[in-house]
Amino acid sequence: MGKRYICCHKCDEISEIPYPPRKGRYKCPNCGHTLFRNYPGMIEKLYAMSIASFILFILANYYPILTFSVIGKESSANFATSIEYLYLDGDYIMAIAVFMTTILVPFVYITLSMVLFGLLYHGKRALFMIPLIKILEEIRPWGMLDVFMVGTLVSIVKLVKMGDIHTGISFWAFVILIPILAYSHMIFDPHPVWDMIEESDGKKRR
Amino acid sequence: MRGIEKSIGSCPICHQLLDFSKEEDDGSAFRYCPRCGSEVYMRKKDSLQRSVALVIASIIFYIPANLFAMMHVHTFAGTESDTIISGIIYFFESGSYLIAFVILIASVVVPFIKMVILLYLNYSVHKGVCKSRQRRQKLYQLTELIGRWSMVDVYVVSIMIALVHFGAFTQIKAGAGAIYFLLVVILTMLAAMAFDPRLIWDGGNCKEEKME
Repeated sequence: MGKRYICCHKCDEISEIPYPPRKGRYKCPNCGHTLFRNYPGMIEKLYAMSIASFILFILANYYPILTFSVIGKESSANFATSIEYLYLDGDYIMAIAVFMTTILVPFVYITLSMVLFGLLYHGKRALFMIPLIKILEEIRPWGMLDVFMVGTLVSIVKLVKMGDIHTGISFWAFVILIPILAYSHMIFDPHPVWDMIEESDGKKRR
Repeated sequence: MRGIEKSIGSCPICHQLLDFSKEEDDGSAFRYCPRCGSEVYMRKKDSLQRSVALVIASIIFYIPANLFAMMHVHTFAGTESDTIISGIIYFFESGSYLIAFVILIASVVVPFIKMVILLYLNYSVHKGVCKSRQRRQKLYQLTELIGRWSMVDVYVVSIMIALVHFGAFTQIKAGAGAIYFLLVVILTMLAAMAFDPRLIWDGGNCKEEKME
């Protein structure tokens, strides 16, 4: 096989890609959408990134992100505490939405990508990776940690006039986590992963 | 050439190409992808109807989101309720121009632009407009990018609630506006996901085959 065809998801134009693909980024000739990225070391980088994200995410959730003290009284906020207070105040819709977009979806995404890229890195190919990668692709738009970061910064500005704000260790873990997640999203391309999964299917058929 | 001319569909999950030429109606016919088992349609099912319905729903919710208060601040001095607009004005008056600008863009301008763009895209596809396809493509990509950023206000409210919780007297409670605003963000995200960008490039009554 010297060539392979890809159908652009944005404009439905069919393009040819040499197979095995050369290094670089392939864009759709019609609309310019990136079809295919082939840069060395994608699996290794994503494995490393997902492990780092996992550790940072656990850190960011365990300790308080911000501590606010006014006239001697102190309170601290975390992902979990804000959801807890929303829930106790009866705002169930908001509590569920914040829980899903800042804890559940990012955690599932980070854990599944750690499992997936770890297995691929260590040479395992298996068919159960198909539901794994399907879940990854479908929940990706709903992880909004970077938006939460901006929200945190806005809250800091709002409250700095009223009292003292201290940023805990979680804040810095969070600050490092965001660019790592952004970088992982940027370099991720599902095509080589699907090729690897297909290899496992081929082996089983023989 | 394009996939629809050859009756080839592509799986949205695993990008496998599928042959649809045996199906009669290429609008709602679907097959299961042989590689990953997902449903594959030639074009997203009922794309225009769903997208417009969701945009209209989000416009309806946008009105109470701005009218009702986002949060109520209970202090010893009384209760202060802030809507999105009054929050922006507060930031302007207290000198934090950057934050006022950020909130203005993220909570007022972005959802509004998103709704307008989605309505325009749906209308232009419905009418079979041939021109400025590249521009509409870029507009759609812009819509997908900026959608989630309107959640900033919701997160600010939830963080403030968690931080300002001293005893029974000083606390912050979420107002009705926050919930409506959350719904606006979710609905516009769903509306953008329902719209199939490939429709922009589909036929219509074009006299010349001219790609702009």
